[in-house]
Amino acid sequence: MSRPAAIVGIGQTKHKKRRDDVSLPGLVREAAQRALDDAELGWTDIDAVVLGKAPDPFEGVMMPELSMADALGAVGKPIMRVHTAGSVGGSTALVATHLVQTGIHDRVLTVAYEKQAEGNAQWGLAGGRSGGMGAGGIFAPWMRSYMARAGAPEHIGWMVAVKDRRNAAKNPYAHLQMPNLTIDEVKDSPMLWDPIHWHESCPSSDGACAMVITTEDGAARSPHPPAWVLGTAMRSELGTFPGRDPVRPQAGVECAHLVYEAAGIRDPRQQVDIAELYVPFSWYEPMWLEGHDIAGPGEGWRMVESGETQIDGSFPVNPSGGVLSSNPIGASGMLRFAETALQVRGRAGEHQVPDATVGLAQAYGGAAQYFAMWVVGSTLDAVDQKR
Amino acid sequence: MTPAATEPDDDNSVKMMDYFMQLEYREPLCPVVRRYADQLLEGRLIGHQCPSCGLVYLPPRGYCPICVVETTDADETVLSDRGTVTNYTVVTPVQYYGQHETEPFVRASVTLDGGNATMNLQDLVDVPVDEVRVGMRVAAVWKPKGERSVADISNRSWGSAEGCIDGWRPTGEPDAPAEQFLGKATF
Amino acid sequence: MDDIAIIGYAQSPSQRRAELTEPQFLFPVISEAIERANVERRDIGFTCAGSCDYLSGQTFAFVMNLEAVGAWPPISESHVEMDGAWALYEAWVRLQHGDIDVALAFGSGKSSPGDPSEIYPLQLDPYTLTPLGADPVSMAALQARAMLDKGTITEQEMAEIAVRSRTNAANNPYAQVRGSGDVDTLLREPYVTAPLRRHDLPPISDGASAVVLATADKARAVCERPVWIRGIDHRIEPHQPGMRDLTESISTRQAGRHAGIDHGPVEVAELSATFSHQEKLLREALGLGDEVQVNPSGGALAANPVMAVGLARIAEAARAISERGVSRALAHATSGQCLQQNLVCVLEGA
Ligand SMILES: [Zn+2]
Repeated sequence: MSRPAAIVGIGQTKHKKRRDDVSLPGLVREAAQRALDDAELGWTDIDAVVLGKAPDPFEGVMMPELSMADALGAVGKPIMRVHTAGSVGGSTALVATHLVQTGIHDRVLTVAYEKQAEGNAQWGLAGGRSGGMGAGGIFAPWMRSYMARAGAPEHIGWMVAVKDRRNAAKNPYAHLQMPNLTIDEVKDSPMLWDPIHWHESCPSSDGACAMVITTEDGAARSPHPPAWVLGTAMRSELGTFPGRDPVRPQAGVECAHLVYEAAGIRDPRQQVDIAELYVPFSWYEPMWLEGHDIAGPGEGWRMVESGETQIDGSFPVNPSGGVLSSNPIGASGMLRFAETALQVRGRAGEHQVPDATVGLAQAYGGAAQYFAMWVVGSTLDAVDQKR
Repeated sequence: MTPAATEPDDDNSVKMMDYFMQLEYREPLCPVVRRYADQLLEGRLIGHQCPSCGLVYLPPRGYCPICVVETTDADETVLSDRGTVTNYTVVTPVQYYGQHETEPFVRASVTLDGGNATMNLQDLVDVPVDEVRVGMRVAAVWKPKGERSVADISNRSWGSAEGCIDGWRPTGEPDAPAEQFLGKATF
Repeated sequence: MDDIAIIGYAQSPSQRRAELTEPQFLFPVISEAIERANVERRDIGFTCAGSCDYLSGQTFAFVMNLEAVGAWPPISESHVEMDGAWALYEAWVRLQHGDIDVALAFGSGKSSPGDPSEIYPLQLDPYTLTPLGADPVSMAALQARAMLDKGTITEQEMAEIAVRSRTNAANNPYAQVRGSGDVDTLLREPYVTAPLRRHDLPPISDGASAVVLATADKARAVCERPVWIRGIDHRIEPHQPGMRDLTESISTRQAGRHAGIDHGPVEVAELSATFSHQEKLLREALGLGDEVQVNPSGGALAANPVMAVGLARIAEAARAISERGVSRALAHATSGQCLQQNLVCVLEGA
C-alpha cells in the first residue's frame, strides 16, 4: 500500500555555535513545538516519533531517544532512532514519510538535531587522536579530483561560499550571517584543506529541525498549504574499495534517478524549481549538480559561474544558506528536506523563491556513500504541470 | 548544583557545566589484522587479493566486500613499499583536545607499484608542502626495526601503518605522468 | 497491513570475547540468512541494520558493517542505532509499500571491548542520572527490589527462571551460558548487587543475528514454510525511573495489544528478559499463562549479544514455528534500562 503523504508542520531552532540557553531536550522541543504550531496540532495528536542524529559520542549521550522520550511527547507511542551518518536528517524524514505512506500512522513527528557544543565533534571524528583532519581532510582530495576532471577554475568554490552566505542572511534561523561577504574575503581566508578555505567550509552548529508528516485527510485540515511528498529514495555504497569513484559516487547517481523516476521527473534542471543539496564544502555544489545528473559532465561549475544557482537564477540551490551557513550535523540533512517543503508551501519568507512548486532535497554522509533524497511539490501533480 | 543566581536570566548564572568521562575499550586484534601488524614490524606491507575479482585490499580485511567472499592467508600478497602520489591535500590543523599538529601538513594518497592498492591520508617527509604534486614517486620511510610500533593499529583502523612508517619520501625518479591520475580519485 | 513473512534467519554463536571483528562475524551470519531464505543477494530490495557506536567505542562504527552486506553495486539501505529488532521493524514498514519483495534486517554488537557498567550510564538522562553512574545492574536491582517488596516475585522464582534458561540453552548451539545447576545451590551464592545474584544477570556477549523478510507472494514462491508476521509494534515509557512503576511493563502491554497478541493463543514466547525478574514481569504484561513455553532458546540470560539479542528473539520464535511446528509465537525486544522501550512481534505458521 502506498498513499500520499504531506508535510504540514515545519520547525527549526535558531542555529548557533553554542545554544547554551537550552538543554538537549529543550533544543529538540523548540523545533518540535514550532512544527506542531505550524500544523496547529498538539502533542497528543502525534501517533509516532522518528528521531535522527549523527554519532552519539558527539554529545556523549547514548541512545538519546530514551532520555528524550518525555520531551518529545513519545511516552506511550512508538519512537525510533535513525543513524545513517551525514545523510541521517534526510533518512529520518524518509522513515517518517514511509510510516504515513504505508498506512501505519496518520501523523508522525520527525526530529533531528545536533548539539555539537555539548561535546567535541572534531575529537569524536578523530577518535580522540592527534592528526585528525575532520571531514574536510577526507573530502578535499576528491574536490581536487573534481576540479581536474571538470576543468573547473578555483573561483567556483568562492562563488558558492558567497552565494550561500548571502542567502543565509535572508534566513533568520541560519547560523552564519554574512550579508556582505565578498569573493576576495573567501579567497583570502585561511586555507584549511586545500582547496577549501575557511569561508568555504561549514560551521559547527547547535540546532534542531522538525516536521509533521500526515495523510491527505490531515493535509486537508492543515491551516497552511501542505507540501506533498512526490518521491523518496535512499542508496548506500561501500566507502572504500580499489577503483571506487568517490567524486561521482554511483549511489548518488542511482539515488537521484530513483527519486526522479518516483516523482515523474524526466529533466530535473527544467522540472525542479529549487534544490537544497547537502553542501558542507563549497565544491560539493557543482559536484552534486553533476553527481545527480542535473548538469552534464563539466557543466555543474558552469551553472555556478553563470549564476544559475543563485536565489534568482534559473535553478536556485540552497536559498536557505545551506549547510555552509548552518551545520547542526544530525539536523543538516533534515533542514534540506524541510527547506524544500517550506519553499513549495510558499512559507520560506525572505528566502522564498517565487512560484516554487517542485523542490528536490538531498543529504549525503559517510565517505560520500550514503544518500537520501525526496522531491516535494505544492500539489500532487506539480511535476505534471511542468511538462 | 543549582547556580546561586539572583535572577533566572542573570548573566552570571551557570549555563553549562563540564562533565568529563573516560571510557576504555580493549579489543585484541583479529587474526588478519594481527598478521598485517606482525608483517609491518618486519617491514612488509601485505594485502589480500580477492580470489574472485582480483582486487587487492590493504590491509587485509578477511573478505572482499564486493564479491562478498571470505579471503584467507592463501590470498595474501606482499605489496611494494614504493609508489606514486595520486592525490593529496594540504591540511591546516584544527586545534582540538589531543591535537598536536600546529603547522600545515600534507596528506597524500599513495598508489603502490604493481597494483591498484592505495594507501590514503599518508604523511610525506623531506619535501616542502608546496612541492608536492600528483605523479611524484615516493618510497616508504621505515622506522628502524626497534622503534616500530603497532600499538595504534586497531581492528577498525584499516590502513594505518604510521607506527612503522614515518611517511613517504620522494625517490627522485622522474614523475609518473600526472594525467594518468588527475581527475581520478582512487580509493 | 500486508502480511510479511520471515523466510530466513541466522545467528552467530554468542561469545564472551569474539576473536573476529564485528563485520567479520556478521559476514557469515548474513550469508547464511540469505542462503536459508532461498533468495539471491541481488533480490534484496531493502536492508536495515541495528548497531551501537558506544558499544564499539567508535563513531560511525556501523559504516564498516555495511561491508558484510555486499553494498556494491549500491543498495537501498538504512541503519537504526537500536537493536536489530527495530531494524526489522523498519524493513517491515518498507515492505508495506509493495514495490520491493525482499528485505534484510540484521543486528550486531561487540560488548567485550568495553565495560558495560561504564558505558550504560550514558544511556540515562545526561543532566540528572548519568553523573550518578547508575549502571544497568544497579537499575535492574532497584526494579527487582521493587518487585520483591510488592510480593510479585521471590528470589526462589528468580533462581528458577535462571535454571530453566540454562537448561533450555543446553540444546541451543548459539548460547553462551548453558547447563543445569539447581535452585538451592544458586540461592546460596552471594549477591552481586542485592537482590541480584550472578545467575540473575545476563552474560556479556559478542554476536550477530540476521533475518530475511518477504512479501506474501514472494514468500510462498521461495519458502516451504514461511513464518508470518501477524503484528509488530513498539512503545516507550517515561525515562525517569521515578516516573514509572518499575514493577509493571506498561509499554510492553501496549505494544502487545497493538501487535494483536490476544487474537489467539500463544504457544512460545521469546522474551528479551536480560535480568531474571524481568521474565516474570514481561509474562504478566503480555498475559502469558503457565501453558506458554517461555524462552526455549534460553533467552537473554543464556546469550546477550546487545543490539542483536532482540532480533535473535524474533529469529528464535520463527525457528519454533518453522522447525518445531509451533503455530503461534511471540518475540519481544527491549531498549533502555528497566525495560523502558519494548517491541512485540507476533508470528504464525500457515
Ligand atoms: Zn572480490
